[in-house]
Amino acid sequence: MSMIDVKVAAVEQVTPLVKHFTFVRQDGLAFPAFSGGSHVVVSMNVGGRVFRNPYSLMGSPADTSAYHISVRKQEHSRGGSLFMHESIEVGSSLQITYPVNLFALAKKAHKHILIAGGIGITPFMSQLFDLHRLNANFELHYAYRSPEHGAFADQLKASYGSQLRCYTDSQGGRIDLLALLSKQPLGTHVYVCGPNPMVVAVIETAKNLGWPDNTIHSEQFLSPGVGEPFKIHLKKSEIEVHVPADMSMLEAIELAGVEADYLCRGGVCGRCEVDVLESDGALLHHDHFLTDAEKASGKKIMPCVSRARCQKLVLDL
Amino acid sequence: MERGYWIRSKPVYTSLLWHEKATSHLIVAQGQGGMAVLKLLQLMHPKQPITVLYTPQSDADYSKTLLKVVPEGLHILDTEEKILQKLDSTLHTLYMGMRLYIAGSEDFMWTVAKVANKFGIEDAGMMKELTGTLARPIYCVHCKAITHDVTTNIGKCSGCGRMLFVRDHFSRHLGAYMGLMVDAESPGDLPEIEEIYP
Repeated sequence: MSMIDVKVAAVEQVTPLVKHFTFVRQDGLAFPAFSGGSHVVVSMNVGGRVFRNPYSLMGSPADTSAYHISVRKQEHSRGGSLFMHESIEVGSSLQITYPVNLFALAKKAHKHILIAGGIGITPFMSQLFDLHRLNANFELHYAYRSPEHGAFADQLKASYGSQLRCYTDSQGGRIDLLALLSKQPLGTHVYVCGPNPMVVAVIETAKNLGWPDNTIHSEQFLSPGVGEPFKIHLKKSEIEVHVPADMSMLEAIELAGVEADYLCRGGVCGRCEVDVLESDGALLHHDHFLTDAEKASGKKIMPCVSRARCQKLVLDL
Repeated sequence: MERGYWIRSKPVYTSLLWHEKATSHLIVAQGQGGMAVLKLLQLMHPKQPITVLYTPQSDADYSKTLLKVVPEGLHILDTEEKILQKLDSTLHTLYMGMRLYIAGSEDFMWTVAKVANKFGIEDAGMMKELTGTLARPIYCVHCKAITHDVTTNIGKCSGCGRMLFVRDHFSRHLGAYMGLMVDAESPGDLPEIEEIYP
């Protein structure tokens, strides 16, 4: 996969847990243009081991001189977000992929309701530029733990004042989803990005109110997580690959020198989907891409976030 | 046409079925489409409010039965124009969660769809049942006129008079099938004209 070499031009501590990084290109050229909601995958070499994490671009899509991402330090980081927070400083070099948008605005919508929880604000940061430029009808509902954790809240208030509502959990602020989604005009679309319970609650509330599926949008990148080690057999490459506890299947496959397709590495896009040829145990599906029926069939797996508990697993790679 | 081949732009219509999670139901039907409404009501009278807009046709008029069966919100109007006006004013009063059901000819359904599109309701948010006729609206790629109710494999363009081959390729934006001149290379040399969309 072709990558862009970048240099860190600025680092800002936004909240106790969130850092904002500004990237410029090593070759001095302009970045590719992107659309609001896009993300890039940042490749990090942590003591010889490569981590590749997806992060939403949060700058203005009109600005191609720099890319902006924000990284939340995860409590159970396998190393990626910790590395960004502790080892990356102004002048550091990184590699990123070209931007991909899996969370695009619906251009035909008459109204947009954006619902963000915590670090889930990031994809909306770039979408807001697009909505503002298009003079679109929108509202942003932003929930966070406590005042000091409301990343970019002041900046958003200054730019979008009346279209923004903040909900501070520590002060009893809660989004009443039923009330919010009950009397919306026809042609409204809802977008949610945040912690899993919030994403599920928005999707369920909208569906129960009869909103058509195509008007409900969500994005939720997963990190691969830690599990039991297991072994896989790659049929085409004719090799055995050991997947350690703290490594994803995709990472282990790459480490073994086999090129596998990927885009988001967070269980969302479906690009890394692989056919399961044989297995004698349980596939532990963690992705948001396969349907429940596909997961139950045991014929496909997303190696970026899913794992297995079995003696034998043969993949078509 | 090669067997097993179909053009992806050709719409797939189903039988109308209630969306159980809807917060209100709006049903728009024409002529024989009245039967689709009756079938729907036979399945269930939903808990949520319903509105039915119906325009009868000379060969298919289910007004009498609909008056007996529809519990509320029935509007029987004698022209398509009045139906579309009523549709427009009704959509102004509804919220997200409303589900739209349309039954009638393709021409009628896509004319209704165009009104709904103005309110931000997309194709995926409507359910359509084709009733009464297979007659097609045809868009002339040469003069851009739309010819209605074409029942034959080749139809005469109402705009420029060219003889148009009726394709399966459908435009949701125009609500019509593509028609292109059939005798451009050998004027007057026409294949046999047959009724295949009765």
